[in-house]
Amino acid sequence: MSTARRRAIVPWLWVAPWLLGFVLFMLIPSMMSLYYSFTDYSLLEPPVGIGLANFAELWRDPLFWKVIRNTLAYASVSVLVGTVLALLVAVLLESHVKGRGAGGVARAIIFLPTLVPLVAAALAWAFMYNPEAGLFNRVLGVMGLPRINWLGDARWAMPSLIIMGFWNIGTAMVVYSAALRDVPRSLYEAADLDGVSRLGRLWHVSIPAISPAILFNVMISIIWSLQVFGAPQIMTEGGPDHSTYVYQLYIYESAFRYGRMGYASAMAWIQLLATLGIAGLTLALSRRLVYYRGAV
Amino acid sequence: MTLAIVQSGVSRRAALGVMGVGALAWSAWPRRSRELAGVPRGRKVLHYWEKWTGAEGLALQGVIDAFNQSQEKLWVIRVPISDISSKAMVAVGGGDGPDVCGLFSYSVPLYAEAGAAMPLDSFPQEDWCGEAGYLPNVWKLLTHEGRPWAGVNTCYTLGLYVNRTHMREAGLGGTDADVPPRTIGELDAAAEKLTRMDSSGAIARAGFLPNLPLWWPYSWGVLFDGRLYDRATNTAMADDPGNIRAMEWIATFPKRFGREAAGAFAQTFSRSTHSPQDPFISGRASMIVQGPWLANFIRLHNPSLDYAVAPVPLADGLAEPSLPRGLVEADVIIIPSGCKDPEASWEFVRFMQRRTTQEQLALAHCKSSPMAEVSAEFAGAHPSRYVGVFDAIARSPRSDSLPPTRVWPQYADMLGGAFDTVWRGGDPASALRDVQVRAQRLIDQATELRGRRRAGNGRGDA
Repeated sequence: MSTARRRAIVPWLWVAPWLLGFVLFMLIPSMMSLYYSFTDYSLLEPPVGIGLANFAELWRDPLFWKVIRNTLAYASVSVLVGTVLALLVAVLLESHVKGRGAGGVARAIIFLPTLVPLVAAALAWAFMYNPEAGLFNRVLGVMGLPRINWLGDARWAMPSLIIMGFWNIGTAMVVYSAALRDVPRSLYEAADLDGVSRLGRLWHVSIPAISPAILFNVMISIIWSLQVFGAPQIMTEGGPDHSTYVYQLYIYESAFRYGRMGYASAMAWIQLLATLGIAGLTLALSRRLVYYRGAV
Repeated sequence: MTLAIVQSGVSRRAALGVMGVGALAWSAWPRRSRELAGVPRGRKVLHYWEKWTGAEGLALQGVIDAFNQSQEKLWVIRVPISDISSKAMVAVGGGDGPDVCGLFSYSVPLYAEAGAAMPLDSFPQEDWCGEAGYLPNVWKLLTHEGRPWAGVNTCYTLGLYVNRTHMREAGLGGTDADVPPRTIGELDAAAEKLTRMDSSGAIARAGFLPNLPLWWPYSWGVLFDGRLYDRATNTAMADDPGNIRAMEWIATFPKRFGREAAGAFAQTFSRSTHSPQDPFISGRASMIVQGPWLANFIRLHNPSLDYAVAPVPLADGLAEPSLPRGLVEADVIIIPSGCKDPEASWEFVRFMQRRTTQEQLALAHCKSSPMAEVSAEFAGAHPSRYVGVFDAIARSPRSDSLPPTRVWPQYADMLGGAFDTVWRGGDPASALRDVQVRAQRLIDQATELRGRRRAGNGRGDA
């Protein structure tokens, strides 16, 4: 075999395992799900073509709009607050915790919850939210405040899930910490010479300098939060009164509980397009806000 | 070591190749899997998927062991499966289902219409009791459009558990605290008397709350003469006047005991049902609607609890002590289409349908028997002295079974949503009318699509 030919083939051989996995487990199932979205398919019997009926039914389905509202509420609050919180913690750790040892321990402690399996974390949080015996209501009781039915009250259930989500800010915090360490000292020195305050340094130097890391985390958070599933399923099963019924949960129940794989596929494709749209919009907005050091 | 290989003249590539081939050969070498270790030689192995674990799973294993000992051709291996409905649907639909599968009775219409289960009347009928062997309400759950698609694997109804000590303390039940409420009016009055509030306005002890636990939100209509489904016309009956009356009754609880207080009380116990912290077992609820199995957990966690069980009270004017009313549900066992040896699966299912087998299982699960005839030993040996209450409900011609429609899981969830809406102060009639419209749309859609499938198969009735 000639060297040129070998050079052309070898890269494909190296990526072949991934490519094979992608085609078999992503591309083909995705295309099948696109086909199923135009059918009635229970998994147990052959699909029957019904054109756009699934999409038309979704349009009329009040639960569909409810899960969209719930998911958007969850995503917008958790992305916004989670980003600010992770950034704040990273800034505090980088500027106030002196010494590698102490900083490392603090970062490890904040990162640790991300290693706890979701089911275990959800059960622990459900217990902490228990109206009678839970930690939060005990604290409220000590402070003389009334108890809250965290997961059983439709007004509080979604905020409770969002608060629980902040348990996992460790990953974003680590990325921000690394990015903050990478900010050139010369920029801070220049700011100091110009008499910029500490807050000014953060706003005018640190945040622009780490904006690519912020964009990365925001993008990942948006994608993950739009796919939230485990915590609502384990802690509330979508209740009470569908107040925590999120998009993925409805897809799952439609497919595997109600035997409506076609309907679930239609929902999944709408979600994919919506997520692509939101991600595209975020990228477009980021062009004006994100600063790349190497960019001309 | 690398150095040694190079020095001995064997290239690294050749050594890696030999190791790779060795690993492949080791993994491909035929060997007996661990699950088959205890299977006697010459037996055909059947895999039986079932949802039960713990004590209930062990009881089932006892029955399976009895089958394995009773003959020398087959060997059944129990595979405990969580969320079995979903997983069975994927496996059977994908053509890789088990030989025998335990499901819930609400799955029967879907499996029957999809042809995903084998009709039991297509097998040799010897040694099978058939319709005559089962309670009529149970037989309805096993059949769809006149054909049997599943065997039974215990059945259950719901009863009202009453804490007799609390009743006596509150001066209820007259001189005999064994007389629980018989009508909704009596239940309401007793709930009022038994409920204790603490100084903060929280419920310290619940007399009775219909959201404790919120497992059967669709079951209250039957207490008011409501029906969920008309079999003859394939019509949902969510907004049946009896169901609306039931929801109006539900709406009185948050008003009487405080929406937030009652909601918080139920939420407190949402993860402790059947544990020592169970609201009834721990004495925090004086009355609760539960299945017959609760007696097993009372024996385990609080054997000194002084309690009685009665049929769930009916609306005033409907109560007839000799003819209680309730909804009958069952666990079922099916033979999935495409299983490797249907005749062998049938042999096991037939064994499971013996009266003695079902009695053995019902004794261990603390349930009543699903069979028409019950042995004298069964009643004598039963661990619950109130099994007769559940048996009477299951036998009663006034009892009903779950709607035989494939959309029932979604219909049931809609009724659960209506319960939530009413609990929050929504109008019962409009909540149920909304369910009616949506459920009927699903039923009509399923009927139409079924017609199209049949037409496509050349069995046309479209």
